[in-house]
Amino acid sequence: MTSLNRHTLTGHSAALDFSQPEPVDLSSGKYVKLWQGPQHPGITGNMSLELTLEGDTIIGCKTHVGYLHRGFEKLMERRTFIQNFTVVCRIAVPEPTFNEYLYSHAVEELSGIEIPDRAVWLRTLNLELMRLASFLMWIGGQSGAFGMYTVPNWTLSHRDFVLDLFEEMTGARIYHMYIVPGGVRAGLPEGFEKRARDVMDSTEKMLGQVERVMFNNAVTKARSRGLGIIDPEMIDPYGIVGPNARACGVARDLRKDEPYLAYDQLDFDIITGHDCDAYGRAWQRLQETRQSIDLIRQCLDRMPVDGPFQADMPNVLHWKVPAGETYVKAECTRGEYGYYMVTDGSEYVRRVHVRGPSYTHAIAVMERLAVGCNIADIAGLMVSLHTYPPEIER
Amino acid sequence: MIYQSLGEWFDKIGNFSLTLLIVTVYGLLMGAFIERIIAKVQGRIGIPYKQPFINVLKNIFKRTAISHGIMFYLGPVFRIAGGIGTLAFIPVIFGSETFSNFSTAGDLFLVIYFMFFGQLGMALGAGESGHPYSAIGVARGLSQMTAYEVPFALAVVAIVLQYGTLSINDIVAAQQGGWQHWTMVTNWPATLAAMLAFLGMTGYSPFDIFLAPQEIPIGPPTEFHSAYLGLLQLNRALFGATKLILFMNLFFGGATGWPELMLKTWLIYMVAIVVGVAFPRYRVDQGIRFFFKLPTLIGIMSIIYVQMVLTA
Repeated sequence: MTSLNRHTLTGHSAALDFSQPEPVDLSSGKYVKLWQGPQHPGITGNMSLELTLEGDTIIGCKTHVGYLHRGFEKLMERRTFIQNFTVVCRIAVPEPTFNEYLYSHAVEELSGIEIPDRAVWLRTLNLELMRLASFLMWIGGQSGAFGMYTVPNWTLSHRDFVLDLFEEMTGARIYHMYIVPGGVRAGLPEGFEKRARDVMDSTEKMLGQVERVMFNNAVTKARSRGLGIIDPEMIDPYGIVGPNARACGVARDLRKDEPYLAYDQLDFDIITGHDCDAYGRAWQRLQETRQSIDLIRQCLDRMPVDGPFQADMPNVLHWKVPAGETYVKAECTRGEYGYYMVTDGSEYVRRVHVRGPSYTHAIAVMERLAVGCNIADIAGLMVSLHTYPPEIER
Repeated sequence: MIYQSLGEWFDKIGNFSLTLLIVTVYGLLMGAFIERIIAKVQGRIGIPYKQPFINVLKNIFKRTAISHGIMFYLGPVFRIAGGIGTLAFIPVIFGSETFSNFSTAGDLFLVIYFMFFGQLGMALGAGESGHPYSAIGVARGLSQMTAYEVPFALAVVAIVLQYGTLSINDIVAAQQGGWQHWTMVTNWPATLAAMLAFLGMTGYSPFDIFLAPQEIPIGPPTEFHSAYLGLLQLNRALFGATKLILFMNLFFGGATGWPELMLKTWLIYMVAIVVGVAFPRYRVDQGIRFFFKLPTLIGIMSIIYVQMVLTA
């Protein structure tokens, strides 16, 4: 029997049962308390899971954050607007670009800055390349969590090719700091388009092999089918967004629902699935990876090759943003990513709140789905939710 | 076998020591070779051939300042004793006086006992560490071992019935005269059942849950370090090569020289490697269910096949 969640087995009404589990008597010898993390290969970052086991079955899961000790939001209040670019990108290491974009976009909205058309396309290209790199890393992580190490080596080597493109485009592989208020820092280098198309071709071919080896694999199916089923009734109460929601058949994607940048000029449909388990979520992300490759090609086809990529900006050393507040959002690989920003007309931001999808996925959803799982499946389950703990602990 | 004099005993021990050295070095080298093959499949270069030797030597010469109790330290000793004991009763090169070890009538029983002995000793040691990951790893490892030993035991029973002997040397002798006499051909169901069990024995995917880094790091050896970890690494090479030699003897006609031994054992090992790089790992309950289904059924079939076809 696959490790179906106890709550989902009992019907839809149980999905919205927020009651805490009964405390167990650990001294009875019947239960084991086990910590998974913060240093653990089966954890996705700086957090840990406090698991209560009855045999191999998890009967209680409590998440613990607090291992990052940075406080990004507070750090930003003590830095000028331009200095914050070294901070925001670190909130989500595998895909910092979404933070750069949203921070810039919020500042632009409050300052009333219009960015040039070429910058719009360059930002779109940059975000989609980031999505591709992040998905490639995730596919490797999910496969590795189930003990298949061939696929991670393939996907991570291709992610490196995408990082090569970032290096050419932005001068950096991970923390690009490429999208700045007013546009982007540079245009595309000579020959970039051909090299990008080559990387897309080889990545697409590799994804075909991944599909055969990982997704058409009886053991992968045995491990992931029925694991961590998200009841569609949980979507709104738990704040589930992105591929986790779309895999349940919920057609929500900010790129379509509230288009930003050049997404309204790109041809694509929202991909949805019908399997709400870990396998369904993996399949969803594989299809979205392919969609991302298609969008990158469309960007390369349609983007203007000439023109300014940066609007006229004030002297950043004495830059004051008018008082106001705004909430901007974008669709990152894990769903809705949002920045709420308040300014008071000074050189510093008054308050920034970052809404990362990991907050709900890694805490409330994880604590719910873990109960009833086999202890061996907990790493696969956590990865299947695609979470980055620094987003939780901003 | 009764040895006539003390000199004969010393000769035998000397010969076995030589065999032990060769098999251990071969196991370490093959480990590096296999790692390089896996790396090629994964698009990497892989480790240098000397890496397993460096790992073992580095750990062997380290000392520890902490104590987990006597049994914890005896765990790796039992483990390697199991590996050495297994090799001691397996004739490595057929027809060779030097490399026949202490092979004697009924050695097949002894070998199977020693194969269990090391793992049980290790389980006791790991349990003494008090680490919950070790305990969970031990529970998983022993559960899976119990499961894959069933088809293996059935396959062994089948060939014992087929050849009418419990002597590995006699079983190898019965397979001489060409590949058509190998158990692989004459009793293919037993070979198939044993090879499926072999996938579980090697500890590669899909049956490596007891050592899984993601699911529980790192299982039984979690707390082992320094020289004790070195002993475990040494045993992994020795025991791995020894199991390959046993399988070669029981099912693939044995070997009359080292080149033949290396070729055959390498090919047998490749079965586990090919499966290992292409599959994720089963959970322990899934693995147990797997072994109790098809492999066990084939194992039972192999006994019926011997009784109905080969000895009828």
